[in-house]
Amino acid sequence: MGRKTEITNLLAHLPRLGVGLAYRESFRDELLHHQSEVDFVEIIGDHYIDAPPERMDELALLSEHFTILPHFTNLSLGTAEGIDPVYLEKIANLIRRLNPPWWSEHIGFTRAGGIHLGQSAPLPFTQEAVEVMTKNIITARRAIATPLMLENVCSPLAWPGGEMDEPTFISEVLRSGGTGLLLDVSSLLNHAVNLGGTPATFLEKLPLDRVVQVHFSGGQDACGQLVESRAHPIPEALWQLLDDAVARAPVRCICLERDDVLPPLSEMLGEVERARAIGRQHQRWS
Amino acid sequence: MELALQQKLVAQLASDRAFRETFFADPARVAASEGLTGEALSQSHCEQLRQFARVLQHRRLAQVGELLPLTHKALGTRFADLFHNYAITPPSGTRPCEDALGFVRHLKQHAATEGLEPAWSLSLARYEAAQIEATWLDERLVFRCLPHAVRKLSALLAVGDVPAGSYRRLSLALWWRTSTRSRLKHWLR
Repeated sequence: MGRKTEITNLLAHLPRLGVGLAYRESFRDELLHHQSEVDFVEIIGDHYIDAPPERMDELALLSEHFTILPHFTNLSLGTAEGIDPVYLEKIANLIRRLNPPWWSEHIGFTRAGGIHLGQSAPLPFTQEAVEVMTKNIITARRAIATPLMLENVCSPLAWPGGEMDEPTFISEVLRSGGTGLLLDVSSLLNHAVNLGGTPATFLEKLPLDRVVQVHFSGGQDACGQLVESRAHPIPEALWQLLDDAVARAPVRCICLERDDVLPPLSEMLGEVERARAIGRQHQRWS
Repeated sequence: MELALQQKLVAQLASDRAFRETFFADPARVAASEGLTGEALSQSHCEQLRQFARVLQHRRLAQVGELLPLTHKALGTRFADLFHNYAITPPSGTRPCEDALGFVRHLKQHAATEGLEPAWSLSLARYEAAQIEATWLDERLVFRCLPHAVRKLSALLAVGDVPAGSYRRLSLALWWRTSTRSRLKHWLR
């Protein structure tokens, strides 16, 4: 069996989860009251590394009520210095404890020269960066058998000296690393608007058969640039892009991300329900 | 390994304002001094780097604001202004809690040199910093003696604004664990 077929088969057997929420501690109690309206919960896995017992109690409580998807930001798979083996082992331990259907990280780097950025920075679209990502992904996959999904990042920074366009770069990383794609449609929209392109063109060039999960969140116009604020309702253009992505990709789940100024949970649940209807319309789940 | 050098440069540029301004003055020279031989980050990328730095600062601000909710409420919009003055250098640690502690240290220095209004906001910041130490830094015993009515101020902030007043009254706060795996206990009077 070819490698591509093997990975496509693996992704095709992942469970269809439906629509969930990126977990924030501030709505924990309310979320538990509305658990039937949320199909899964995504946690920021880094917040549960070296965490106090109270935080791990919270995780145990969530695990009792929801399927948990751990999403990480600080492994820094794109760092040329190599990933931190101690941090990787801690992630592996957490994933063993949660036993999720998959886990996710970013196509980018958060650590370089002893500086921890706390948010993914983009990579140059070069063969060298593909090779660095591949090497680090292989190291991570050796330590963690659970399938890995990689998320596209949106940044105002575009490196000089690119050897390929971004969709090609993402495709190369996924192909050589043997991973699925966590498609952030908000990043995709912001990126396209800021760089003067169309999200549909970008979407078309991506390896859509690799899309397992979708992130979506509200954006904000800051000085003519769309930024992913996660603090605003979902704009209509993004609903259309989400619909387009779900129609074309074998999506197993959609996750709403809201941060900063959190609206009432009822507002978020309304957005969850609308996304669920989109998935249902395209027969991604019943 | 050109990529490693490029990433180090970008990380410094995105997180260190003084370094960024030096770089913007002569990008080619600074890039060369960092050992970069490829296409240097030119002037056309300076604005992108500034924007990226703002995105990183915004993310740090959001995380620290979540860890210091009382301080955030007490200072209102000045919380962000003070944070931006603090976050001109990279966070000292790797975790948001370490960044929050760094910011409280900055607030203490700011209060000592330029003052901080309302005065009780510093007591709340010190209270929340102690709670972070007790929760996240494996401290088995943390004690603080604070010059303002922390319990009353917390209750007032939870339901809205705090009416004008000095709120001077000694508060004693204690956090403890009997072992590193036991649950945190807290006492405040």
